[in-house]
Amino acid sequence: MASINLRALAPIGVFFLLCIVIAIFSPNFLSVSNAIRILNASAIPVVLVMGATFVILMGSIDLSIEGIVALCAVVTASLVLNDTTAANLGMWAIPFAVLTGGMVGAINGATHVYLRVPSFMATLGIGFVCLGIATAALGGFPVRIADRGFRALTLGRTLGLPNGIWVATAAVLVALVIQERTRLGRYVFAIGTDEVTARQSGVPVERIRILVFVLAGLFSGMAGVMAAAQLGQGHALIASGRLFTTITAVVVGGTALSGGVGSVLNSVVGVLIVVVLTNGMVLMGVPPFVQQGVQGFLIIVAVSIALDRRQLEFVK
Amino acid sequence: MKTVLELRNVTKEFPGVRALDSVNLHVGRNEVVGLIGENGAGKSTLVKILAGIHRINEGEMLFEGKPTSFRSPRDAFNHGLAMVFQEQSIIQTLTVAENIFLGREQEFLRFGIIDKRSMNSAAKVELAKVHLNCEPSEKCSKLDFAARQMVEIAKALSLDGRLDSDIVILLDEPTSVLERREINLLFEIIGELKAKASIIFISHRLDEVLEVSDRIYVLRDGAVVHETASADASITGLHEHMVGRQLDHEYYRENKQRSSFGDPVLSVRDLTIDGELRNLSVDLAAGEILGLAGVVGSGREAFARCLGGLMLPSSGEILIDGKPVKLNQPNQAVDSGFGFVPSERKSEGIVSGLSVAENMTLAAGKRFSRFGFIRFDRERTECQHWIKRLQIRTPSVKTPMQSLSGGNQQKVVLSKWQIVGSKVAVLDHPTRGIDVGAKEDVYELIREMADQGIAIVLLGDTLEEVIGLSNRILVLRDGEVSAQFDAPAGAKPDQLDLISNMV
Amino acid sequence: MTEKHKQFIRNLVPIFTLLILVFGIAAYEPGFLRPRNLMTVTADTMTLFLMASGATLVIMLGSIDLSIQAIASMTSCIVAAMLPMFGGTALLFALAAGAAAGILSGLVVNYLRIPSFVATLAIGGIMTSVAFWASNERSIYISDEDKLVWLNWATGTTAGIDHEVVVGLAVLAVLSVILSLTRFGRLVRAVGSQERAVVASGINVNGVKFFAFVISGFMAGLAGLVMAARLGSGSPTLASEFLLPAIACIIVGGTAITGGVGSIWKTFVGALIIAVVRIGMTFVGVTVFAQQIVFGLVLVLAVAMTIDRTKVSVVK
Repeated sequence: MASINLRALAPIGVFFLLCIVIAIFSPNFLSVSNAIRILNASAIPVVLVMGATFVILMGSIDLSIEGIVALCAVVTASLVLNDTTAANLGMWAIPFAVLTGGMVGAINGATHVYLRVPSFMATLGIGFVCLGIATAALGGFPVRIADRGFRALTLGRTLGLPNGIWVATAAVLVALVIQERTRLGRYVFAIGTDEVTARQSGVPVERIRILVFVLAGLFSGMAGVMAAAQLGQGHALIASGRLFTTITAVVVGGTALSGGVGSVLNSVVGVLIVVVLTNGMVLMGVPPFVQQGVQGFLIIVAVSIALDRRQLEFVK
Repeated sequence: MKTVLELRNVTKEFPGVRALDSVNLHVGRNEVVGLIGENGAGKSTLVKILAGIHRINEGEMLFEGKPTSFRSPRDAFNHGLAMVFQEQSIIQTLTVAENIFLGREQEFLRFGIIDKRSMNSAAKVELAKVHLNCEPSEKCSKLDFAARQMVEIAKALSLDGRLDSDIVILLDEPTSVLERREINLLFEIIGELKAKASIIFISHRLDEVLEVSDRIYVLRDGAVVHETASADASITGLHEHMVGRQLDHEYYRENKQRSSFGDPVLSVRDLTIDGELRNLSVDLAAGEILGLAGVVGSGREAFARCLGGLMLPSSGEILIDGKPVKLNQPNQAVDSGFGFVPSERKSEGIVSGLSVAENMTLAAGKRFSRFGFIRFDRERTECQHWIKRLQIRTPSVKTPMQSLSGGNQQKVVLSKWQIVGSKVAVLDHPTRGIDVGAKEDVYELIREMADQGIAIVLLGDTLEEVIGLSNRILVLRDGEVSAQFDAPAGAKPDQLDLISNMV
Repeated sequence: MTEKHKQFIRNLVPIFTLLILVFGIAAYEPGFLRPRNLMTVTADTMTLFLMASGATLVIMLGSIDLSIQAIASMTSCIVAAMLPMFGGTALLFALAAGAAAGILSGLVVNYLRIPSFVATLAIGGIMTSVAFWASNERSIYISDEDKLVWLNWATGTTAGIDHEVVVGLAVLAVLSVILSLTRFGRLVRAVGSQERAVVASGINVNGVKFFAFVISGFMAGLAGLVMAARLGSGSPTLASEFLLPAIACIIVGGTAITGGVGSIWKTFVGALIIAVVRIGMTFVGVTVFAQQIVFGLVLVLAVAMTIDRTKVSVVK
């Protein structure tokens, strides 16, 4: 039993070890301003992993993250004061964009459940549909945001910290309550551990699966809003690389791809590990293109450590 | 006494098999009813009908006097019929309290948020009923097997006070993995439960059924053959009702049973598989049929899978023709001369997407290919030979395996190992799920294989089958050999002798 | 209707779809049926087919390869970067790199027992990093001279037949022979159909999987070479847009994502369908940007139609 606890604590250990190593090579790392920079860079990934963690806890996967983020960023940018459309909804654009994400999530879930298509295929296809819509709607051009009030969502500061950090913190709290204190959260664990038993115990498996994809869509939608506010524009490529970072963070945090084991808090640690690693590589002068390779390597290492091989007789 | 649950003339048929034949059975309020029978007697079909997994063909089920048909195990549960299966329905990653109230969180919801404190204290009440002293907030993965079983019973008891109807708790082989101390505790709890619920107790351990039940039903060949109050029953009496018919010598081709064998082929020395089997030693000669008898969990399945290379031995030695062999992988087992016919034919025996010929030569691929290219002519000739010899009914060698009947599929599996030239055939329930006529063909085939000098390890579907076919029988109990019987034609051991060493 | 008839009809559906699409376009634009035009369309399709050809084997196993686009991009960079210095050896080197990526995927799936969709996603990330490294983060142009000497086998024309088509047909022939006449090919189908039974028959399933991934990597590498030859340059994002269409053409051709059923000619037909749909959309006036939407939908629908639901009791 001790080994399980060890496993749960391992990501935190890795995080501190990483910080120590980077601090030795690059003394600039341990400064308040760099810490805030790291937290700020973590804000969008943290919001993304909240949704992705639920999906993965259920034993499924969501490959449509980039598509939803891009689509929602474009929706946001087109609804606030901008250079392309006549709209000027200000902060009211946020619920529209987030709901768009939730809707795509519902389509993901419904396709997966009712057509009985494995989630990685359903979300791969629908993710591309979203990217296509984001591209086609703008003919490949970006929408520039002119609404300063809206951009304060990530650029402004409250109590000395960038607002993005507060938004991400709120997202974590919401996710934590859902995970620990709602039926949805507990059913996710039940389905991820043993779907057949969960169904026999009266868990409405289909409805929960769809709801979880909706939840993931909502979080991805919020991340799209934040990305638009951060970069001051919405375009189809705004999210490229996000999927990779998200999945890396979730698995590095210790949530098992086989489902049932993990937590949104683990994923927060996972994001911090990935972001600190990126930050450290930049500080140490490692070229940025190496990052994707390093993340790929991290995924393999993390998954191979976390996988419970006794459960998997065959690997497809 | 008020009758809570009743089955009237319940019949259940599967294609080609009548699993239950007008079964009549009733359970009274606050009564413990024992249900016994051999493998294949119809116990599991009966349980599945009660659980709402199978539908009744004829007859009816009454719950509290009203005709009822449950749609699912959950539906049965919500009506007051709770089951505790051997394969537990506990979700290990959830807490004890969450498992007890899984799917019924409604009463603890405050504005959509689960009130954990009230859920945990409600769970505490249920845990007290089964004398389980653990924290409701504990994850179930931290409990041992016996404790998880108690959580399941607590889950069933939580219906008490939440339902207006009576409660029936079905315990399916609850003692098979428990220690004696835990069994005593379970029986104590059952004694207390009687005040609150009716209980159906299914077990293969007759002494336990006698000890705990008020009344006992004996099932055989899908029918209730005996009903008795426990006070009037004895273990030997129950045995006789379970076993019933005399051995049919003709059926098992006893006249073709060999009495002389070739050289020793297989030697097993002190084979141990952790948690499954301890220090098994046995020798087997060419042409000899060794039967293995034992209940589920006795270690005989583990032994068979080990010989097939599908389960790792912990210690001990396996020798073929006097030379030690390694069986860490199935390919090592095949190369060493073992041919394993698994009990799960559909998932492990055949490749349903491939043709008959492709299945037949699957294990002997190298013989039918040159530089990696398949020699189709040679393959077709060989397969046609075996189809004729084993009278496999198939339109052609190219027919997809899935369109053959179960019996013909099994013949293909048996031919696969004859084509390879296996020295030892390990037959794990070779007649499971095939119809009566095909069974006889398989028996004939087993005799022929013995005549060819193949040493055979047989795990029969029934005790009768093991006795009828084998030259020698090993009885296993709790992972150890408990007895050994010679079974020459005309002087077969009695089933009761075997059973008394099995349990 | 017997299983045999169903199989027969299932085989014919993609071919009929292709013919209907071709004649539909011909009704719109009669010039479409001119032999020269058909040749060009086929030649244009071959890079897609090459990428999907090897991955077909992986999908027949019931696994998936999400690294093919990254591998193709990588080999385009390697060949473009190395041609000036090493000449023809660069081609061999690029192909070897493709195969090596497949070897890595095979090892990770077999020995770390990581599900293929994560393993190949991660390996794809690593290959993208290699591509950026090999190309120094930019497009590398291939000189006309090098192209003529070393890449004419891929882009030239002999007796009115484009070499892309020759290469494509050669791959079609070789892989078809491997699949239908060799023991390896039979085992690919067997593993995809019922892995447990194959294992119980004493067959080295890991070896079968390993070679399927190697072939997939090699073919993706070859696709990268042909792409580089056609475009006259290599770039780390050259094939990024090809993953979705490549998987789509495998599935549209009739190979089931659940494994066991499929063939190379199906993928060939599927690739032509995708190409013709693309041309048709252009005729009808669907922008290039919006085509991704259609492909995303086509992928999900094709998966839903071809999947063998009896094989998966729990769809994750």
